[in-house]
Amino acid sequence: MKNIIKLISVSLISLLVAFSSANASSGVFKLSHDLGFGKDTNLDAITKGRLFQVVIMTQNRLVRKNLDGVTSPELATDWSGNSDATEWTFNLRKGVKFHDGSDFDAEDVKYSLMRVKDPDIGSPAKKSMSSVTDIEVVDSHTVKMKLNTSFADFPLLLTDYRLRMIPSGSGDTIGQTGIGTGPFIVDKFDAEGTTILKANPDYWEGAPGLAEVHIIAIPDGEARVQALLTGQIDMNRYVPFAQKKIFDGNSKFNVSVVPTGNWRGMVMRTDTAPFDNPKVRKAVRLAVDRQELVDLVMGGAATVACDTPVAPSDQYRLNMKCGQDINGAKKLLKEAGYPNGIEMTIHVSTKEPTWPTIAEVMQQQLAKAGIKADIQMTPSKSYWKETWMKKAVAMTRWNERPADSALHEIYHSGAKWNESFYKSASFDKNLSDARGELDFNKRKKAYQNAQKTLWEESGTMIPYHVSKLVVTSSKVKNLDEVEVFSVRWHRVQVD
Amino acid sequence: MFFLIIKRILLGLITLIIVSLITFVGTEVLPGDACTTYLEREAYGAALEACYKRLGLDIPAHERYLSWAFSVIQGDFGYSLSGQMPINEVLGPRVKNSMVLASAAIIIGIPIALILGIITALWRDKLPDITISTVTIFAMTIPEFISATLLILIVAIWLEWLPGIVIVPTDVTITELLPNIILPVIAIAMIMTAHMARMVRSSVIQVMASDYVQMAILKGVPYWKMVFKHVLPNALLPAINVVALTIAWLLGGVVVTEVVFNYPGLGRLVIESISNRDLPTVQALAIILASIYVSINLIADLLTLMLNPRLKTLQIRK
Repeated sequence: MKNIIKLISVSLISLLVAFSSANASSGVFKLSHDLGFGKDTNLDAITKGRLFQVVIMTQNRLVRKNLDGVTSPELATDWSGNSDATEWTFNLRKGVKFHDGSDFDAEDVKYSLMRVKDPDIGSPAKKSMSSVTDIEVVDSHTVKMKLNTSFADFPLLLTDYRLRMIPSGSGDTIGQTGIGTGPFIVDKFDAEGTTILKANPDYWEGAPGLAEVHIIAIPDGEARVQALLTGQIDMNRYVPFAQKKIFDGNSKFNVSVVPTGNWRGMVMRTDTAPFDNPKVRKAVRLAVDRQELVDLVMGGAATVACDTPVAPSDQYRLNMKCGQDINGAKKLLKEAGYPNGIEMTIHVSTKEPTWPTIAEVMQQQLAKAGIKADIQMTPSKSYWKETWMKKAVAMTRWNERPADSALHEIYHSGAKWNESFYKSASFDKNLSDARGELDFNKRKKAYQNAQKTLWEESGTMIPYHVSKLVVTSSKVKNLDEVEVFSVRWHRVQVD
Repeated sequence: MFFLIIKRILLGLITLIIVSLITFVGTEVLPGDACTTYLEREAYGAALEACYKRLGLDIPAHERYLSWAFSVIQGDFGYSLSGQMPINEVLGPRVKNSMVLASAAIIIGIPIALILGIITALWRDKLPDITISTVTIFAMTIPEFISATLLILIVAIWLEWLPGIVIVPTDVTITELLPNIILPVIAIAMIMTAHMARMVRSSVIQVMASDYVQMAILKGVPYWKMVFKHVLPNALLPAINVVALTIAWLLGGVVVTEVVFNYPGLGRLVIESISNRDLPTVQALAIILASIYVSINLIADLLTLMLNPRLKTLQIRK
């Protein structure tokens, strides 16, 4: 009898424990950041020094990308555009509260987004909001955004990881408080040490699976790997591929390779001879063996691109084949008036560690088509000022952005970062058509036509989009295998 | 003696001025500056101008140097470039953390080095000497970034005895800091101890071979009495300078070790501010490190002068 009572009580207790642990937030998730902005580091998402590892957990956007890269509701529940896509109405989620207890409403949206345009803040995100002329508060949970241009994919722009909703009027303090509507609340902010986040039990998507998140400053890349190995952090999204084998086959770690839209490339200035001739530019691009670059430089961890800046996961990506074609390259060079090939100097720096390697592999590949490439090393600290957009041929790199932004910011004839000085009326027209086109399939066609034009005549050779090596402790559960800005942090658990 | 001290202090000050000039010119002629580093692709036009103006980089270099030097004399290092924070505030906790690390290494290292050095010298070419000397030579030749990594691998990853890297806030209290510094202290103390042990060994051997020790042995002075009364006082005097040099070397070793272990001290700050092109902080650090170097050597020289009667009389005769 005693035994039975004991058995029942033990099973009851264990049931209770199991039940409570399934519901309550528990576990601590530790990750690191590289303190890349030194003492400027803050929690204001729209400033240059934003500590994004924190704000993506404490603040929400209006619109997010789901795991398939498609826009889906976050703090906006639904939205619609007018017939020419110049006015967008967003209905906001009701009953959402900021960490300070105040209600999230339309005024907060207006404040958060118009702040991005403030010239005194000089936000790097202001480009995403440049087409917005005004935000009208229709009622407490409806806003209408007015654009100076047609833009059928405007909601996609709002998925920018920096466009976070903060309480109206909190601009002066947000850099230290990080207050938002997100699954975690800033408990202690210490940029150079450990920042501690606590679970927000009232999070509108449900209480987080973690009790705390620790975000630790570890500036040195090697030290970050050591910290992961010793279990002092649970996730490292910056492990170099050379160190993959340390973690492979170790049951304490999960290794995943996540494709991203970040790319490396080589820019030929289209206003400088001999690259002012589109045939020469295409010849260079044909002579490159992209798969070999992926294998040799990235150890296979990249997705071949045919000179499109649009991410592999993007719905507007143009997928085509672009194998090495030495004869085609020679033929084009001959047609362009260079039967004996050309000479060029590729400017690189260690700003991006893979640039010199890419250039060396290309040097061999281009030689087969009679293109003699020299490699010139330049100082990395002044690379963006003195080399990039100055020298005829230089390396470049860009981080993932939506198709429209990537195509506009880097190739539009009026773009200030048009690094190849590329000017094409038909390309520009495809972009503006796409922006005004409300029919998805037609819009997709226009964006893909623009990418096709790039393959034919652009000045930028984009061999691949890199994949990211994400190593987590095997204690970490439910971490979405996507880029960091789309991870659903409230679902993550640590045993 | 008095004039000698004044002379040495003046020489030290001149060294500091030269160091500050070299750091200033060095950071000035390198391509890129704080603004191009900070703004990256946006480093052009109005944004760049505004940045230069905000950081005072639009003033000619020599004027910037002079105004900086003037305030340093008053004990004010100015503001850090990227942070807009008073450098004195940034430095305070960092200096303390590095001091804790260095003093722990010294407190542990010096006695061990003395004992090892004396043992190897007294049992010269015997088993204790051969074993210890082999180990010290290994410890001397392995650079600290390798020994540090090996320590992490063995102690933190395989044995899981201690945390691998240091995760503490910059303004940590000393009691919180102590459990974290075991591995960094071992990494630093290893090379330092090995160097000092070798020096002590040769110094003791030299004295042991001298005529008066031979005489004492012949006169039948008991062995250990002779060692402690006649050999060690004479052998350890030159060791003061060695210790000073080693402590000065520590400054460099600390930089590497701090970075490997993520230790929030001066060393990590050096690397961080150089990569941010934070010129005022780099200059402040250079001055601080140089002053430590100069003053340690000064103290060591004066200490030897005071403790060594032979040198004292030499100066008076002059």
